[in-house]
Amino acid sequence: MIKLSDIEKVYQTKSIETVALQHVNLEVPKGEFLSIMGPSGCGKSTLLNIMGLLDVPSKGVVEIDGQTILSYKDKELAHIRNQKIGFVFQSYHLVQDLSVLDNVELPLLYRSGISGSERSKRAKIALEKVGLSARTRHYPSQLSGGQRQRVAIARALIGQPEIILADEPTGNLDSVMGEEIMNILLDLNREDGTTIVMVTHDENMALKTERLIRFFDGQQVSDARMYDFQKV
Amino acid sequence: MIRHLFKLIWNRKKSNFLLITEIFFSFMVLFAVLSFVFYNYCNYTKPLGFDHQDVWQLTLRTNSDSTAQNRLIQEQLLQRVKSFDEVEHVSLSNSNVPFAFSMMTNSLSYGSNKEVQANVYDVQDDFKDVMKLQLQQGRWFGPQDDASRHRPIVINLMLKQKLFGEEEAIGKLIPINDSTNYTVIGVMDYYRAYSEFNAEEPAFFSRINLQQNEHALWSSLLIRVKPGTGVAFEEKMVRELSRIAQNWTLEVTTLEKMRKSKARLTLVPMIALGLVCGFLIFNVALGLFGVLWHNINRRHSEIGLRRALGASSAQIYRQFIGEVLVLATFGLLLGVVFAIQLPLLEVMQVESVVYISALFAAVGLIYLLTALCAFYPSRQAAAIQPAVALHEE
Ligand SMILES: Nc1ncnc2c1ncn2[C@@H]1O[C@H](COP(=O)(O)OP(=O)(O)O)[C@@H](O)[C@H]1O
Ligand SMILES: [Mg+2]
Repeated sequence: MIKLSDIEKVYQTKSIETVALQHVNLEVPKGEFLSIMGPSGCGKSTLLNIMGLLDVPSKGVVEIDGQTILSYKDKELAHIRNQKIGFVFQSYHLVQDLSVLDNVELPLLYRSGISGSERSKRAKIALEKVGLSARTRHYPSQLSGGQRQRVAIARALIGQPEIILADEPTGNLDSVMGEEIMNILLDLNREDGTTIVMVTHDENMALKTERLIRFFDGQQVSDARMYDFQKV
Repeated sequence: MIRHLFKLIWNRKKSNFLLITEIFFSFMVLFAVLSFVFYNYCNYTKPLGFDHQDVWQLTLRTNSDSTAQNRLIQEQLLQRVKSFDEVEHVSLSNSNVPFAFSMMTNSLSYGSNKEVQANVYDVQDDFKDVMKLQLQQGRWFGPQDDASRHRPIVINLMLKQKLFGEEEAIGKLIPINDSTNYTVIGVMDYYRAYSEFNAEEPAFFSRINLQQNEHALWSSLLIRVKPGTGVAFEEKMVRELSRIAQNWTLEVTTLEKMRKSKARLTLVPMIALGLVCGFLIFNVALGLFGVLWHNINRRHSEIGLRRALGASSAQIYRQFIGEVLVLATFGLLLGVVFAIQLPLLEVMQVESVVYISALFAAVGLIYLLTALCAFYPSRQAAAIQPAVALHEE
């Protein structure tokens, strides 16, 4: 599904050069739920941004669904993001001035040939999936953190993407709400077969996924499958 | 997408309120100034009804009290002017010649149409040829009017409409007092003598009859000279006439000069208003630009989010331009609601077409202005890298 080969990312600011990623080789098969852990600043978000085609690596090759993403135009990248990838962020990134329903509809706005009624119908289904059917007319400021993240997940899944990239989705939530979010993601992975890559700081969350990769200083330091882990 | 933008702007109406009011006021100012300009232009394009080229005004001012003497001199002057080879036609007139700063009005009543105010011009038979007037119906004054029981007048179309509507005008009697009447002998299309920028007003010509008014004096002579006649003749004429009218003040000017100074009276305030308006709009544009710039910089994370969800850079660009146009639409809707009252209520005696064209032009200009202001900030927004935008939380 996703294949990264020898990825390197160097941030060039005025005086300093930050190597955010180095020699990253990673393959995420279809349907896998992968979690990534590592100390702050080790390059996890950078990795996710590269996987999500939001950022380009300084070196290396990204493949999605067998397509090598190389010298793609902005429009084509946007199209792939829209069709295949859903994003969930630590700080939710909801548009404050749009209702819950309108927030969830956003990805479909960038897809041609979907009518307004079709959009809201699908948004309602997505909200049902995350248990927020009763909150469609609310605004983000009227919701709790957990509810906001559920809206963000509904938004990520409305376009039925094959991949969901979640950057510390439970990072701002208490453990009960975090648990809820985690369960929704697990359901998505099990029932719809959505490939999920999740960055987390929470060992307990990571242990619920099939595979855990650890990063340190821009490099991958371990790769463990829970399946193996449990066998041991 | 348009519906989405309307929703977005509507939900942000509180923070957009200032911008919307600003656009509203700019529109109102622009609409007012354009209405004024279009009104003048609209009048300017209409026919004057006469030809003022090669027509001179000779102002006659006597300095003595002897009426009989003065009257004699006036008639001698008239005869002398007529006798010059360079002169084609001459007519006595009051001071309200074309483009003069002088008006004379009279109110006429006919049947149920009471007290219609009209400009009145006292002229001689030759006036038609001096000013090259065109008649639509009936005839101009002639010697046959010497014996007329009533006082003959020629009216313009507008006065005809006001007095008689669709009825035949020729032959109608309009009472002056208990014993005398005007009789309408002719109708002309237009006579717009006050200024090129003024609208047509009701007007009529009354015939000067030297035999019947033995003591009257008129202050002007209108003279049509042969084309190409210049200052040399003007000097010669004044010199010769001064010999006849020794104590009189004689002044010659051309109607073309008078037209120019009259036009200045409209053009100068129009240009001044245009400049003030331009300056105002420029300020509004600067403000608009600043606010848009600020707004877009505040919305980096939203831009990043939209990019992540599948918006291309071009779509972000279009969204921001679109938002500004929607914003303008709100301000303009408000403005149009006010502006449309003028033609609807017929507040002033101005044709609706003036308002309507000013309205459309103002709407167009405001859209153009806002789009121009949005152009650069929107391009900045579109250039923001999606990952960078999300990073800045
Ligand atoms: N846009 C950027 N410009 C410069 N340096 C950056 C940028 N984004 C990230 N970095 C740097 O790259 C490193 C990795 O950042 P990040 O991927 O956000 O780490 P993590 O998500 O693991 O905390 C950090 O040292 C960070 O300061
Ligand atoms: Mg991070």
